[in-house]
Amino acid sequence: MAIAREAEPVGSLREVKEAGLDREDLLGVYRNMLVTRGIEERGHILYKQGKIPGSFYTGRGNEASAVGIATAMGPNDVGTPLHRDMGVHITRGVEPWKIFAQYMGRADGPTRGKDGNVHMADSNLGLLAMVSHLPAMLPVAVGCALAFRIRQEKRVAVGWFGEGAAARGDAHEGMNLAGVRRLPVVFVCDNNQWAYSTPTHLGFPIEHVADRAQAYGFEGVVVDGTDVLAVYREAKRAIEKARSGGGPTLIECLTLRMEGHAVHDDAFYVPKDMFEKWAENDPIERFRSWLRENADMSDEEEDEITGGVKKLMNDALQRAEQSPLPDPATLTDGVFATPEELDTPHHK
Amino acid sequence: MATDTAIDVVMPQMGVSVSEGTITKWLKNEGEEVAADESLLEISTDKVDTEVPSPGSGVLLQILVPEGETVDVGTKLAVIGPAGSAPPAPAPAEPEAEAPAPETEPAPEPAPEPEPAPQAAAPAPTAAPAAPTDGATDGKTFVSPVVARIAAEHSVDVNAVPGTGRGGRVTKKDILNFIEQGPPPAPAEPEAPAETPAPAAPAPAEAPARAPAPAAPVAAQQGETLEPMNAMRKGIAEHMRRSLDTSAHVTSAIEVDMSQVVAIRSKLKNEYQSKFGVNPTYLIFVARAATETLLEYPWINGEIRGDQIVTRNYVNLGFAVELADGKGLIVPVVKNAEGLNLLGMARAVTDVAERARNKQLLPDDVQGGTFTITNPGGYGTFHGTPVISQPQAAILGTYAVVKRPWVVQDELGEDVIAIRPIMNLTLTYDHRLVDGALAGRFLRDLREKLEAWGEDKY
Amino acid sequence: MAEKTYLQAISDGLRQEMQHDKRVFVIGEDVGVYGGAFKVTLGFQEEFGPWRVIDAPLSETAIVAGCTGAAIMGMRPVAEMQFADFISCAWDHLVTVAAKQRYRAGTPVPITVRLPSGGGFSGGPFHSQNPESSFAHIAGLKIICPATPEDAKGLLANAIQDPNPCLYFEHKHLYRRIKAEVPDERYTTPFGKARTHREGSDISVITWGAMVYTADEAASELESEGLSVEIIDLRTLVPWDKAAVLESAAKTSKVLVLHEDTRTGGFGGEIAATIAEEGFEDLDAPVKRITAPDTPVPFSPPLEKAFIPQVEDVVSGLRDLAEY
Repeated sequence: MAIAREAEPVGSLREVKEAGLDREDLLGVYRNMLVTRGIEERGHILYKQGKIPGSFYTGRGNEASAVGIATAMGPNDVGTPLHRDMGVHITRGVEPWKIFAQYMGRADGPTRGKDGNVHMADSNLGLLAMVSHLPAMLPVAVGCALAFRIRQEKRVAVGWFGEGAAARGDAHEGMNLAGVRRLPVVFVCDNNQWAYSTPTHLGFPIEHVADRAQAYGFEGVVVDGTDVLAVYREAKRAIEKARSGGGPTLIECLTLRMEGHAVHDDAFYVPKDMFEKWAENDPIERFRSWLRENADMSDEEEDEITGGVKKLMNDALQRAEQSPLPDPATLTDGVFATPEELDTPHHK
Repeated sequence: MATDTAIDVVMPQMGVSVSEGTITKWLKNEGEEVAADESLLEISTDKVDTEVPSPGSGVLLQILVPEGETVDVGTKLAVIGPAGSAPPAPAPAEPEAEAPAPETEPAPEPAPEPEPAPQAAAPAPTAAPAAPTDGATDGKTFVSPVVARIAAEHSVDVNAVPGTGRGGRVTKKDILNFIEQGPPPAPAEPEAPAETPAPAAPAPAEAPARAPAPAAPVAAQQGETLEPMNAMRKGIAEHMRRSLDTSAHVTSAIEVDMSQVVAIRSKLKNEYQSKFGVNPTYLIFVARAATETLLEYPWINGEIRGDQIVTRNYVNLGFAVELADGKGLIVPVVKNAEGLNLLGMARAVTDVAERARNKQLLPDDVQGGTFTITNPGGYGTFHGTPVISQPQAAILGTYAVVKRPWVVQDELGEDVIAIRPIMNLTLTYDHRLVDGALAGRFLRDLREKLEAWGEDKY
Repeated sequence: MAEKTYLQAISDGLRQEMQHDKRVFVIGEDVGVYGGAFKVTLGFQEEFGPWRVIDAPLSETAIVAGCTGAAIMGMRPVAEMQFADFISCAWDHLVTVAAKQRYRAGTPVPITVRLPSGGGFSGGPFHSQNPESSFAHIAGLKIICPATPEDAKGLLANAIQDPNPCLYFEHKHLYRRIKAEVPDERYTTPFGKARTHREGSDISVITWGAMVYTADEAASELESEGLSVEIIDLRTLVPWDKAAVLESAAKTSKVLVLHEDTRTGGFGGEIAATIAEEGFEDLDAPVKRITAPDTPVPFSPPLEKAFIPQVEDVVSGLRDLAEY
């Protein structure tokens, strides 16, 4: 018995224009999805070549959800994306070479080698770096919204969490506080149906995580996470609602995690037919078809985009490989901040 | 993207807790061309089975690990090089199964020498080590780090410092006071009124257990009994050894005709006892005479300090006193003996001896000696070679007064045999400072004084 | 200058910071309408409004994590945990996010968490703890433990202005019992700088928080016996004034470390180990610790008295050290 609203798919280009995107924007969205996948595919190979230490996670299958939400964010909005949401970093403008440098633990990477995989974020682009404990960043996103509310700013915070992490108290406390205070925050649940090897029916006893939104006093909506335009439309609606004082929304993006929990996991526990079925809904392939059909994307345009992405990947990797490994002497640097560091755009 | 230098193919780490992988299948053979990212081999790990993409384009020059082998993460598996190049010469000792261990075993450290006692900062042999005792044992022997450091800085023998800490420990206050007020650091006797140990041949013993590292506990053999050395005994042992190691011990002996002393003594004895309550023993006479003589032989009352010779215008006379029950010896000091006549000496010696036996000596009573007299002859022995009490230069031993047939001159100047009370005296001296001739002259003069004792003298 | 209680000093200091900097806001349970469980924020909501003195749901994680998010967005939040004991509910956030954000993501987190701590009034196991040491162990957090009203105000101001997460342990038992002169103006008291509470030459007592007063009473008692006891009030544990402690240890050569927190893993161990490591040759006695025993804080008065170090315990410990 579902409580949350189920989103309608998006049809025509005109509908999309009404939602705020023109053709150029759409090609940009497509490119962002390609870059997202390109980075993760290349990273996957690098990892197996032994060039990336630690673990490696991808969000294969989540490109539409990530890019869709991020495209709906305003320039001064902030977000706390997770490890399946590479598309958010790309859409907000993070340069791919920095991501490779981060993966490879290089000194020029965003965390200077202090943290790995996608535990990174550029605060100048309105992103906060995730941690391993999930969903620890959710109440932090709520805190960002609290600041906007106190200062009466028309800004929105977007907080991501997975359907597995929904089980932890942080999710409850964050959403409860947001609901009580009607804070300008949008909650995005990446439901890719598997929390490592735990299927959803062992994670929560209801049909949709979004069903819980009502319990916190706001709306919940479930959307097909492989449909970038549907995601975008719901995100836009929710974000603008929050911006105008309407309080939070919980958007649940339904996808399938197309690879293992990490590269070292071959996901043997996922039924093969599930993979097959969802492979037919590959978000990039889906959007490519839509663009060909509804926006007349030509071969030349497509090749230009694809070629551009490929070159970007190569250049990015080359640049990242030139970045040195961190000097052990820097180990104890930066545990504590100095007052000068507070002079950033966000700390005004 | 062909490589123009050789590239290594390494075993990747498939997950944080994975430390090794097994080659299940090589997908290319040596000599075959391979493109970048093309699958090169298949591996199996705890977490997952997967293929490894080639890190570059070129020719697979060399396969270093065969199928079926399990190697550590990071192990070199193969080499890819530019087309047409030869495989690199086989690297010597490339471990096949084992990952190259980056660290070599450090050479085992030599076991630390068992020190006699843990280091204090002290180079000086006199500085005691900071060996913590468990505090519960009697006769605290522990020197704390700060006391050891101060002792070293000021070249003070901790044993010379009376201690007021628990169990007689020398505290920081004690040693600071000592440095400020005490006499020049003549390490006289150690501490407190309680059982200050004194060695058999009077050398000031140490309370601190500076014994060498306690030997490993030894089991008693058949017929044996074991008892631990107490602090006093350990102190005596240590001081004896140290004294013998420090001074060049030589002993000269002289026989003294004590007839005069005997005569005067029998006259004075009653008077001294009834009037003054003191007994003028032979020891008192010897002490009186020795004091006089020492003033004439300052080096024998002296001390070697560094490369200087110390002489004094005073004599602090130490007397070896045996403690009750044979528990040990203590050497109380009569200060400024040069100012005492026979009666004064009798009183002083009687007083310290009594207080020594009753454990009523004060720290001041056992330090600052410049010369020591010991009386091993109490049991009838006629000769001995006592150990010098550091840092003094000499020690005088008195022995039993024995009636002996003696060659004397009669009124006519002829040799006749008479019975005379003869006492052997030994001077054990430090030949670094005192030569045999000097010692001989000292003894000669001492004998003269004793043999020529007049009622009116002293 | 005016005479204020420890609590008034905290309250006035907080108020001044809020008046001076609009980015400062308070969030916690019952802090708004009720004025705070201990009335530290009495009258604040009237003065600053409901969006600067925020009554939060019973959600320590959301409160502290919310502060982190707001701080990253440029605010200067001050969270109040109703009792320091409840900080364990937000332990994960503090340790996982707040402590590490600067180091690994380059993002400063200028939050202050006020923690009414300590026992002595039958608060029982959950209203009396001094949970300072587990946080002192986590790199990235600063630990503040004022003992005097003057320090309470200055250290709180410094915590609010500091760009790092600061855990501020205000000892409940000092709130109304301690009164002293406090400057009227705004000022900050530096972290990592100990205060010599009492000068002495025979024994050094290294301590903080309410135990400063216990030590002082003990020292006064022993003064008549001719013992001169020096008391060093650390004021902050992270960072702590190692130089001052080593200097005092060198001066007296006998050290007693005193804290109300339990013994094993208590911060006193860190101090004792440091002195043994770096001041070994200055020591005339082993470094002694007097602490609470390794138990939860008991409720019944005779038990609590046996738990919290009392003046006579300190007297006895000092005498013992003196005689060593």
